[in-house]
Amino acid sequence: MDLTFTPRQRAFRAEVRAWLAEHVPADPLPSMDTAAGFARHREWERTLAGAGLAAVSWPREYGGRGADLIDWLIFEEEYWAAGAPGRVTQNGIFLLAPTLLAYGTEEQKRRHLPRMVRADDVWAQAWSEPEAGSDLAALRATAAPDGDGWRLNGQKTWSSRAVHADWCFGLFRSDPGSERHRGLTYFMLPLDSDGVTVRPIAQLDGEAGFAEIFFDDVFVPADGVLGGIGQGWKVAMATTSSERGLTLRSPGRFMATADRLLELARDSADQALRDAAVQAWSDSEAYRLHTFQAAARLAEGAELGAASSLMKVFWSELDLRMHELALDLLGPDAPLAGRWLDGFLFALAGPIYAGTNEIQRNIIAERVLGLPR
Amino acid sequence: MRFSFTEDQRALAGAVREVLEKTCPPEAVRSGPRPGPGWRALAEVGLLGAHVPEQYGGLGLTPLDTVLAFEETGRCAVPGPLVETAVAAPLLVPAARLAEIAAGTLVVSVASPYLPDADLADLHVVGALVAPHGELDLTPHPSVDATRPLTAAPGDWTSPALDHAALATAAQLLGLGRRLQEEAVGYAGQRRQFGKVIGSFQAVKHQLADVAVALEFAAPLVYRAAYALAHDAPGAARDVSAAKLAASRAAHRAARTALQVHGAIGYTDELDLRLWLNRVWALRPAWGDDGLHRARLRAALLESPATARLP
Repeated sequence: MDLTFTPRQRAFRAEVRAWLAEHVPADPLPSMDTAAGFARHREWERTLAGAGLAAVSWPREYGGRGADLIDWLIFEEEYWAAGAPGRVTQNGIFLLAPTLLAYGTEEQKRRHLPRMVRADDVWAQAWSEPEAGSDLAALRATAAPDGDGWRLNGQKTWSSRAVHADWCFGLFRSDPGSERHRGLTYFMLPLDSDGVTVRPIAQLDGEAGFAEIFFDDVFVPADGVLGGIGQGWKVAMATTSSERGLTLRSPGRFMATADRLLELARDSADQALRDAAVQAWSDSEAYRLHTFQAAARLAEGAELGAASSLMKVFWSELDLRMHELALDLLGPDAPLAGRWLDGFLFALAGPIYAGTNEIQRNIIAERVLGLPR
Repeated sequence: MRFSFTEDQRALAGAVREVLEKTCPPEAVRSGPRPGPGWRALAEVGLLGAHVPEQYGGLGLTPLDTVLAFEETGRCAVPGPLVETAVAAPLLVPAARLAEIAAGTLVVSVASPYLPDADLADLHVVGALVAPHGELDLTPHPSVDATRPLTAAPGDWTSPALDHAALATAAQLLGLGRRLQEEAVGYAGQRRQFGKVIGSFQAVKHQLADVAVALEFAAPLVYRAAYALAHDAPGAARDVSAAKLAASRAAHRAARTALQVHGAIGYTDELDLRLWLNRVWALRPAWGDDGLHRARLRAALLESPATARLP
């Protein structure tokens, strides 16, 4: 075991820290769920990309720096400690890109990744449907062959920022006789395609952070398919057990929150809240160390597998607990808390998105512990 | 940055597990002699002398080398004052006695605050005071764990071995938690009600999933504390307290859940389950209860300038 960083890693950390200190906007950007805020976040992403910092873990040829997992974790720690803006490109860079790198053709990678990293195209997800939420395999949106492409029909929902985004990716049923996980295909398409209607849905904070997407005979050319036809479920799930299990939420974000929480608790006279803040800090440390442990396992050739469900339950509930605590520490000032209140609203979504924590606990029980379905 | 153990460190833990599975089954914990054949076996695989310098017949290992092995000793609730003899005593007793520790012929009980297994110890240690058996005025103290009897001794127990012994105890709690999780999962996968195994019910599954989460995230804190102690890191005391608290909480959750999953049969002396339950409840207050470690963590994080998380 070696918990020190190499001189090269320390130099990388110093470089990132110095760049962020110079470039992170002094005032928080407006919410990325608003049109104006979305545009400002897109600008920020271009600034990041210009410095080669938007996707440090990608191969250089597509706009990354070829950084390994440890470098990426260092970048994330510095990024969140600096109070830098949320990543409006995250659906593309952290969720689609690993899949694209694993399953995409060379042409697909060259077409999409450089535009994604420069935020020329911001991507939205199109997974859930009105009748397929936690039970994603119940999805009904269809894809039918048409000439040298496909026609998509159906409805997707809970798509974050799809009102402002440029492209979307998701699963469609391409085999009409199929059920559940079989007969699905993974598609990528522009949101300004003919037949696509995006309807905003206001979230808890009143901003149109969600959208429904309606597909009415939308034509997608053959190169809009990612991975094999009928292989969509496998393609969508494959990278969850590798690095993506780690990259959904890096420890840096929660370490930064925990450090700020300690600053709030330092001045509090409430021993119970002080102890809870100390506990939360320790939990953020546990998450960080666990991530380094997982990175070591991946480096030894192991797969994360269902362990990513343990991580998701832990970070989402830690994040929520920390924000609840911060609001408790702020007391009557909480409604004016700005950043903490925004963070609280965002943290509330954590146990819901990316597979609800109820689903994650089922996965832990069945696939980690081996209990029967 | 490489958060993993070496082959040697894993091999020691594997050897400990193997000999304890043979010498220390539940019936030996329940009614066998203390410290029993497991003690001799642990001397033979080198764990008793692991922290004794090589010149005294030990292995001269660090806490990082043995943390996985102590986890294994927790799994089987090994009888005898193991943490006290193998971890605390090498820091406390005169060098002339160290060879006996490594050989397994010297049993040491150390107060934290109560003395475990003082009846079978050759030496009793309270704070800096080291006394041969029979010299201190000991009074029996009630304990939840009949396989680890306690006695009270006068005097301040504050020990220079606190951090090292608290870490080893945290490792044992982690091992106990893992054992209780296995027992509960095993029972839930076999007990049938309403025509189904109870492990197929979500109410049961989710409790066990929470145990898995608690253990999964306690472990890295325990391993990091071992690393910090091995490297004499400035934050070592803070890290040990974070580790002991997390292991204590995770083991307690595992114990509560294992009992709940077993139902009434778990609440009896007929099942071996109680051996691990009682050991968890006995070790949680040993070498600093949650309150002591919480206070240390609070002092480190809120009442002094922040220490870096890692180098």
